[in-house]
Amino acid sequence: MMPYYKFDYFSFDFSLVVAFIIGIAFGFALERGGFGNARILAAQFYFYNMRVLKVMFTAIVTAMIGLFYFSWFGWLDLSLVYVSDTYLIPQILGGLILGIGFVIGGYCPGTSIVSASTGRYDGMVYLAGMFFGVFVFGEMFPLIENFYNSSHLGKVTLPKFLGLSHGMVVFLVVLMALGAFALAEWGEKVMTKKLQGDKQ
Amino acid sequence: MKCPIEKLSINKRLALFALVLGIIALFIGNTSSYKINVNAKELALSTVRNQDKISVIQLAEWIIEGKADYVLVDLRDEKSFNEYSIPNAINIKLENILDSGLMRNEKIILFGLDDITSAQAWFILKSANYKYVYILKGGINEWKEKILFPRLVENASQKEKEEFEKIKQISFYFGGIPQVVSGASSSEIYKIQSPTVPKVSPPPAGSIKSIPKKKREGC
Amino acid sequence: MTTLTGIFSKKETIVEEKTFQPKPYSNPYLVGLGLGLVLLAAFVIMGRGLGASGAASTIVAVTVSKVAPEHAAKNNFYKEYFSDGTTSPLKDWLVFEVIGVAVGGFLSGTLAHRTKRTIEKGPNISSKMRLIYAFVGGAIMGFGAKLARGCTSGQALTGGALLSLGSWAFMFAVFAGGYLTAYFLRRQWL
Repeated sequence: MMPYYKFDYFSFDFSLVVAFIIGIAFGFALERGGFGNARILAAQFYFYNMRVLKVMFTAIVTAMIGLFYFSWFGWLDLSLVYVSDTYLIPQILGGLILGIGFVIGGYCPGTSIVSASTGRYDGMVYLAGMFFGVFVFGEMFPLIENFYNSSHLGKVTLPKFLGLSHGMVVFLVVLMALGAFALAEWGEKVMTKKLQGDKQ
Repeated sequence: MKCPIEKLSINKRLALFALVLGIIALFIGNTSSYKINVNAKELALSTVRNQDKISVIQLAEWIIEGKADYVLVDLRDEKSFNEYSIPNAINIKLENILDSGLMRNEKIILFGLDDITSAQAWFILKSANYKYVYILKGGINEWKEKILFPRLVENASQKEKEEFEKIKQISFYFGGIPQVVSGASSSEIYKIQSPTVPKVSPPPAGSIKSIPKKKREGC
Repeated sequence: MTTLTGIFSKKETIVEEKTFQPKPYSNPYLVGLGLGLVLLAAFVIMGRGLGASGAASTIVAVTVSKVAPEHAAKNNFYKEYFSDGTTSPLKDWLVFEVIGVAVGGFLSGTLAHRTKRTIEKGPNISSKMRLIYAFVGGAIMGFGAKLARGCTSGQALTGGALLSLGSWAFMFAVFAGGYLTAYFLRRQWL
């Protein structure tokens, strides 16, 4: 029965080995996607290279469909997969801040690690900045603790929130992703033409 | 003749694949409906081997030690549960057992009045892929008989007496009344004593070892 | 089935080519599929998703508690990252995963001849300014990630696949924040 770790198929120490191997695959995929390169990541926000959106949504759709079908086959107990609690307002504000940091710094935490390990100095400096940011957050924590814990809704999933069946939400997310991909392909074409036009 | 799918680019094939799976998902709806997959042989074997049974004395010792790595489920009706139940038990009716929020990776100990309801619940949970399900042997009746009101016949052997001493301590812990009786009239005394079941008192604070703090799993 | 075999045979041929020119990045949809399978593997094996910023918090919390143990003990944020004392707090799933990310990224970059000591920046900005921006951006991101309880890996990817409400709200907020500021920073990238 999946998830294996929660059914004691292996020990905590072995789970760290699993972590390392999964990490390698994660890093490998990120680098293949071009996420070790700040210019490609930033291009997402200027509409001329939509790789971030494509990779992210494909990954989300893949994992989501996998979870859905594994659970339907009875292989996986979905209730044992850790879903973090929703703290709506801090998460939205944190997301906005993170988006701003993304455009300024050119990376997000995961991709900066890949960028640093493939020799990018900006990635290394970014990592240092991130540690500093976490430290500042930690020092400020007593001041913002109340806000940090506000609008706590517990474990809320979209099917529960929207009152739709799990399969319905899966279907809608697939549709949305495919729509976004079609838009992205079209947008890239338009932007490339425009950029070429600017250069001539 | 080429299959029409082969004419599509990889991206379009992936998109099609995702779309098909999405549409099927739409018709499946919810996945958490209970798919019962019975491995009859495995079930039969574990019944024969008696591995999935726990004796009342074993359970009593766990409670005294403050072990907390299991969920104790009382399957009787609410009224009997409120009258008396084993300390730390929760009340779940047989028909609700799959909706009760029990986790598939938890150690679950079931008991009813005797072994019948718990055997039914054991079967339901086992076939719904719950991994660690146990039956309290003899149910609450055996708990009353062996833990709350243990009896020793006067002409017991030395070995039996020694064992009784041990059980006496356990029995006192749960507010029971151990007694020594002369062989024949034992059932009579038992009948007199049994209505006065002790009040369920939670084990003294500090006796329960705190469950190790769960490691953070978030980002 | 034809789709699946098609994907894998194509992937292998990409890996087998040997030139010393940096290779173009792979098809984003295939990378996404691969990343999704890695994420799924984490769910199936561990019952949890991927992460990145959590490891940074652990390291910061441990460092602060080494330098100023009393100060750290008073802080609920740092406290969350200490273990129960039986093992080192650095023996953490995310810390090991992040070490793997660095190794995996290096492997992939080296195989494709993309590992290079350089600074990624737009043509209209000096290297020094780019590094300053990187530090400031990193700091802002670190703060935001902690406020949101996760970054793009832990919230957007993991929570997105699990259909968590907060994660989806977070994801749209990230894109909103990015697009809102992109115009003012166009000199750095374009």
